[in-house]
Amino acid sequence: MPAFDYSASTDPIRADLADEHRRAWRHIAAAGTWLTGAERVAVADETRRARECALCAERKLALSPFAVEGEHDGAGTLPAAMVDEIHRVTTDAKRLTRAWFDSLIAGGLAVERYVEALGVAVLVISIDEFHHAMGLPPEPLPQPEPGEPSRRRPAGVEKGSAWVPMLDPKKADPADRAIVAGPGGRSAEVLRALSLVPEEVRAWVELSSAQYLTPEKMAGMKTDRALDRSQIELVAGRVSALNECFY
Amino acid sequence: MLRASIEYHGRDGDLRALTEGSKIGDAGIPHGERLVAFAEAAVAGDSAQLATARDELRAALGPEGVVDAAGVIGNFQRMVRIADGTGIQIDGAVRALSEDFRADIGLEEFSTRRGEGLGPVARALAPVARGAALALLRVAGNRSRKKKPS
Repeated sequence: MPAFDYSASTDPIRADLADEHRRAWRHIAAAGTWLTGAERVAVADETRRARECALCAERKLALSPFAVEGEHDGAGTLPAAMVDEIHRVTTDAKRLTRAWFDSLIAGGLAVERYVEALGVAVLVISIDEFHHAMGLPPEPLPQPEPGEPSRRRPAGVEKGSAWVPMLDPKKADPADRAIVAGPGGRSAEVLRALSLVPEEVRAWVELSSAQYLTPEKMAGMKTDRALDRSQIELVAGRVSALNECFY
Repeated sequence: MLRASIEYHGRDGDLRALTEGSKIGDAGIPHGERLVAFAEAAVAGDSAQLATARDELRAALGPEGVVDAAGVIGNFQRMVRIADGTGIQIDGAVRALSEDFRADIGLEEFSTRRGEGLGPVARALAPVARGAALALLRVAGNRSRKKKPS
């Protein structure tokens, strides 16, 4: 059976959604910029393990998630700092702090690997949450592909107001600028957030184009969906508010 | 974007639906109450509640509407984590266009709030920019509706 076979779904699922979900799975399985294919699939696996992690459940109930010590219920294949990153991002993202992020980096987790792991984790979350909303079981994770990470650090990356360094579109190479700059050359912070690893930005834009809107449609108000733009934004805004997303 | 799209569609929407949810009713948006209920059930993770919300949304908007809404839910479960995991701050333009209602509906109370508010010059100019942007959206929406065949 091919990946993301939605033929048995009660509600017919658009072909572009299935295509983008397959593309995301291939992206996760392949060697990335700073992580191997095996590491990336391990990140995807950790993202799912976080949902069942006893430590994460205890921390979520605590007044401060940083007051609870312990070990995550992880697979034991990734460094502890990266496991902590993935589990906290998955289960309690709204209580992440700058001090926590700084401690991971000071402890030896390279910021490039942090950003790439975040990019992989959120792809899995996005597709798993779609399946959950549709009442579908999670898709089995892909098999990792061989190969070495490219280790390409883009030109024009700078430290700024965010925790992570991001691309300055004015200083970026044209190919990277095209990834982070929307229609008209404008670049939103959220589009630049993962830009230390441009391939992860490309992956989320591609998935967003199917699950939400293409960059061109985002800039306008017309949609080619069953929902009009106000209905789409009502759902988007309510999900964001439930997650206490200030952005 | 919700406010902008409400203006574009010429509706009298209620932005409190973002923070207060389905108790606001449809919030002035067609089938808004069912869309919000579906989003809330998906985030809450209760399978029975989610199945009911999905059935009710399907009855209102058809299976295509359910699929579109599920896609948006998945997308924004991702977007919030990108923002929270990278510590980005809200864009100045977004803040300028939303500052007048952010406090009213409780967005300023969120634990993820980062960065400062607008400076004095931007704060003075923001109402003008907001008014112009919203007026342009209303005009664009009116034109779009006039073009549609009856």
